[in-house]
Amino acid sequence: MSDTTIDQVLVAIIARALKAITDEMSLCMEKTTRSPILCEARDYVTGLYDAEGRMLEQTENLPILSFSLSPVCAHIAEKFRGNVHPGDVFFHNDVFTLGNQNNDVAAFKPIFVDGELVAWAACKGHQADIGGAVRGGYNPNATEVWQEALRIPAVKVIEKGERRQDVWDLIFANIRLDIVEQDMLAEIGSCTVGERRLVELIEKYGAERFDAHKKHLFAATRKMMEAEIRSVPNGVYTGESTVYFDGKNPGSEYRIRVRITVEDERIVFDYSETDPQTNGFVNGTYTSSASATILTFLQLVNPDIPHNHGMVQPVEIIIPEGTILNAAYPAATTFGNHLCPPNADAIIRALAEAIPDRVTAGWNQLLCSLSTGPDPRKGDAYVDILFMGLKGGSGAMSACDGYDHIGMIDASGGILDQDYEMFEQQTPHTLVRHEYLCDSAGPGEFRGGLGVETVYRVGADATQIVTFGDGDVEPAFGLFGGGDGSLNRITLSYPGGDVYDTTSKDLVPGVPAGTEYVQHAGGGGGYGDPKKRSAETVRREVRNGVVSAAVARSAYGVVVDPISFEVDAAATAILRGGGGA
Amino acid sequence: MTYRIGVDVGGTFTDLFLWSEDGEVEGFKVLSTPEDSSLGVMSGLAVIAEARGLAVPDLVDQIDCIVHGTTVTTNAVLTRGGARVGLLTTDGVRDALEMRRGIRERQYDNRCTNVVPLVPRYLRRPVRERIDYKGDELRSLDEEDVRAGAELLGREGCEAVAICFLNSFANPEHERAAADIVRGVLPQVHLSVSANVLPTVRFYNRISTTVLNAYVSPVLGAYLESLAEKLDGVGFEGVLLIMQSNGGVALPEVTAQRAAGTLLSGPAAGPVAAVAYTREHGRNDAIVMDMGGTSFDASLVQDGSAALTPEGDIDRLRIALPMLAITTIGAGGGSIGWVDEGSLLRMGPQSAGALPGPACYGRGGEQPACTDADLVLGYLDPRYFAGGKLPLDVERARSAIETEIGRPLGLSVEEAAAGMYRVINANMAHGVREITTKRGLDPREFPMVVAGGAGALHACMIARELDIPLLLVPPTASILCAAGMLMSDLLHDFVRSMITPLADLDWDLLDDCVASMVADGGRQLAQEGIPEDRVRHDVALDLRYLKQYHEVTVPVGRDALEGRDAMAAATAFHARHNRLYGYDLAADGTGIELISVRVRSMGLTEKPQLPRLADGSADASAAIKGSRRVFVPEDEAFGEAMVYDGHRLLAGNRLAGPALIERTDTTIFVSSGFTAAIDEVGSCLIRANTGSSGHE
Repeated sequence: MSDTTIDQVLVAIIARALKAITDEMSLCMEKTTRSPILCEARDYVTGLYDAEGRMLEQTENLPILSFSLSPVCAHIAEKFRGNVHPGDVFFHNDVFTLGNQNNDVAAFKPIFVDGELVAWAACKGHQADIGGAVRGGYNPNATEVWQEALRIPAVKVIEKGERRQDVWDLIFANIRLDIVEQDMLAEIGSCTVGERRLVELIEKYGAERFDAHKKHLFAATRKMMEAEIRSVPNGVYTGESTVYFDGKNPGSEYRIRVRITVEDERIVFDYSETDPQTNGFVNGTYTSSASATILTFLQLVNPDIPHNHGMVQPVEIIIPEGTILNAAYPAATTFGNHLCPPNADAIIRALAEAIPDRVTAGWNQLLCSLSTGPDPRKGDAYVDILFMGLKGGSGAMSACDGYDHIGMIDASGGILDQDYEMFEQQTPHTLVRHEYLCDSAGPGEFRGGLGVETVYRVGADATQIVTFGDGDVEPAFGLFGGGDGSLNRITLSYPGGDVYDTTSKDLVPGVPAGTEYVQHAGGGGGYGDPKKRSAETVRREVRNGVVSAAVARSAYGVVVDPISFEVDAAATAILRGGGGA
Repeated sequence: MTYRIGVDVGGTFTDLFLWSEDGEVEGFKVLSTPEDSSLGVMSGLAVIAEARGLAVPDLVDQIDCIVHGTTVTTNAVLTRGGARVGLLTTDGVRDALEMRRGIRERQYDNRCTNVVPLVPRYLRRPVRERIDYKGDELRSLDEEDVRAGAELLGREGCEAVAICFLNSFANPEHERAAADIVRGVLPQVHLSVSANVLPTVRFYNRISTTVLNAYVSPVLGAYLESLAEKLDGVGFEGVLLIMQSNGGVALPEVTAQRAAGTLLSGPAAGPVAAVAYTREHGRNDAIVMDMGGTSFDASLVQDGSAALTPEGDIDRLRIALPMLAITTIGAGGGSIGWVDEGSLLRMGPQSAGALPGPACYGRGGEQPACTDADLVLGYLDPRYFAGGKLPLDVERARSAIETEIGRPLGLSVEEAAAGMYRVINANMAHGVREITTKRGLDPREFPMVVAGGAGALHACMIARELDIPLLLVPPTASILCAAGMLMSDLLHDFVRSMITPLADLDWDLLDDCVASMVADGGRQLAQEGIPEDRVRHDVALDLRYLKQYHEVTVPVGRDALEGRDAMAAATAFHARHNRLYGYDLAADGTGIELISVRVRSMGLTEKPQLPRLADGSADASAAIKGSRRVFVPEDEAFGEAMVYDGHRLLAGNRLAGPALIERTDTTIFVSSGFTAAIDEVGSCLIRANTGSSGHE
């Protein structure tokens, strides 16, 4: 037996090293992928897992993808037990074997030291196409998984360094765009870099020693998480939110209901009272919904907790099969990632009274669009998700305004706008406007984050625009006296003068060149009484054109001259009930 | 006698490096004067004059060149003390500057707020105009918008105006026309035009860099004027050169127009100096580590020049100009040790700074810092810190470590100090990995040059962590950048977008593009008085696989350009892509795309020779000043180490670890698995005895 006594200092050193590796894997993806969804917006995650699939560390640009990698890794380790070799690579996207979304396709690479399987490197990105009925994947008409995507249950695509060309060809023969093949190669490249680095690390300390210290790291992290949970008062908390429109039945509504039980260092999220699944694609999978729960809770605790197996151990999540958050086979589920915003709302509402200084008001819900079609300039097809358009404001919290133009809570500023000039290089469209939206933020002593307006002119005929999201019925909610944010919407103004307001889950084919696409991403909810906000801050925001003089008066009780931008102190004092600024 | 002086202004100290015609060199340190750093420069000159027994004007009369590294622009950004800037930009996109593409760096931290933009929204004025993605005009320039915008910015007291329009990299006509109008309305203000500052695709990079340039140019201009005035006042008639972020120097009037090019110039001279010392041993490359009071910088030299990166960030603001590739982490002598909620020992990034400083300074600091651990482990002599000017209190160091680290972790004071030492060394080793492995390089293939006051105490253990076979501590370790300034060439970087598949490359167009940048570079160097035979232009291409978004910069030789050899560039690109990202597509025949063309114009300066040290034998015992108990990491126990007087060591002296070499400004710890030797220019070479992988 070699020495496996725990060296506290080595635990800290290994934790730091693991983070450096997943960051480097992430950089590889950003620099080598082709789809703007990946290289511009960073809609992917990278991670390392132990031989059994337990999370060692992750870099989570889009966290909603990340908390299903560990369960899938465990699934692959089990399914291929005895048949995993150095140089193997596996692909996976199947939502009925723990995947989170069909388009989020993962590559897994086993890592060996001295002939022993010691760990896995994994990378998962939102691929531009995954087969199914609709290019780009979002098919609001789907009622079952085969209408959405090619299912890839765990398959070995490279064995001992040799590509299984027949399997490979079967997969990519069912996917529309050749860049997807290239971008899967990039995922494998990222895993290879992770493999190179982790082997160096484990060889340095020895596999046995590494293993003992890894377990200690899990225990230390678990302890941190338990301390955080203990700081929430014991009790049972319930919260509710609404999902509007299932893509098929206008006016349809579904409730998400969560019952949170905090008992010392354990926390249980129970969704048993949540409404049944839909017959469309607005359905979650267990892992997409559990990811949503974890990432929301992580924003309510110390943001510096390491991300590994120990972090998730004290958290229990119950989501019965057949609910909208955990649809049963063979349901359509592509929308599932986007049930995160309403799920987060339910959690925040449940915990607001218990931890008022740690929750935010409601975040702007995602409303997103994807454009696809031929690019006549290049004689080739493209798929673009309009990330710059979807990023509304975050909810405000105590002593802190919301973040402007940050996007949905499941990305929290981890995904980026495409650069405007790259957008025009990569799609046939022309950008007309991308600016903060005046008066979009929910008023409050601390205001919500601002939303944005995005306008582009469609550059080619036969463009298809797909929308998916929410937030066009119910705005981001205010808390403790703060006001609501503004609503989402997407409108198409055709060259002939017709105007079409899209629904929140829509597929609009044949959009002609010259059509003007207009999107409003709403602001976040405000926190606390707006009349308490400093009049000077309100004045500055009026001058900057992000709050109108009318709203300064009506919501904040501050009278600002729209020409000189001076505050009328007397009138303001009257509106504010004599309290003054 | 003729002198040259390198002056490096830092946050605490202004370092000066004096080179005399007779080959003698000497370093000096004076306190910096943050309110006007030219005062510190002048007091440095006074100190030199005094040391030489001269009056200041007599010294200045004999100086033919001063090379100056300044952090005025860096500080202006960090303290938001730059010019009042107005921005004219295409109608509809004025918020791009503030949005920063919608990033929040700390995803799970809802209290992380956005950066306050350098230009408030009401000073970002929209102009109706439009150029499309390939440079064609979609909408003509609305000159009235420009005029009204300029007038408003004038009324609001703007000292500088930035102009950045969409797609101006493809056609700069609208920006140029707008600039002419602004000059007419506001003849006094500084003007930064994006097509001049950074004519490449990617709007956010360009608008952010252009605004940064406008923000700091007036500040740098005013500073350089005030410095020139003071130098004039003492009769300076030599050449003043300014250090830039790309590791080169330039005339003040050139720098003042592209002040953004100095934003990260602080550590930029280090690599040049470092390689001057490794060259003594036939090595043209080096890792440079610099550990000071609050931070640790790692940079890199390859083929004799500093590794650069095409873009970086300052205070979360993007700056897309070529700059020294450098990794900075919060690890220095002042870094505080603490135990987190999971009982893991952490070091930094919080620093005790100079005040209150580490506990052992006895200035009220109660949290244990890295220097406290170094003291408890015996590496520092409490009576000889800073040459004896700052006595250290061992008891305070012990008590801070015991309270904050030892008790919570159940470790003795010594074990806790050893743990702090290991953790900070591991952190710094990651800093070195960032600059090497993340760039596809193997740290074991480089010698590591050690700089900064605290670096040489930790270098052996960083080398062990990374299997670096050779360490080199130069005699100028504590003022390496000031020394490097005298060894820097004049450098001007140019870049133009040129988007085309490599297979369809129009070589005539490429030739024209290169020629026009070469002409620009040649003109600037001629203005700087560089004779033609000392001018060199290097060309590089930014390449990527078809449909990728990000590029890899690949140098191309004259031969490839003249022979129109696309294969050479392609081969270099495939290899570099694989090193960086774990794969390449050479076998798949995937097409390669050119995105931009880079030219670096160099005016080679005459470098001072390093002075030689007197020869001695291998026996270093004449320099022994005693011995003391130190922690020997290899044994995980304390042992006896010889202490040598660094100032009495001679060329050829050798000594075995564990040993300490004390100089007034640096202490070197040679651990037990290492042997040190002094070379002819006074550098201390430290080699691992065994266990190195023999790449040297």
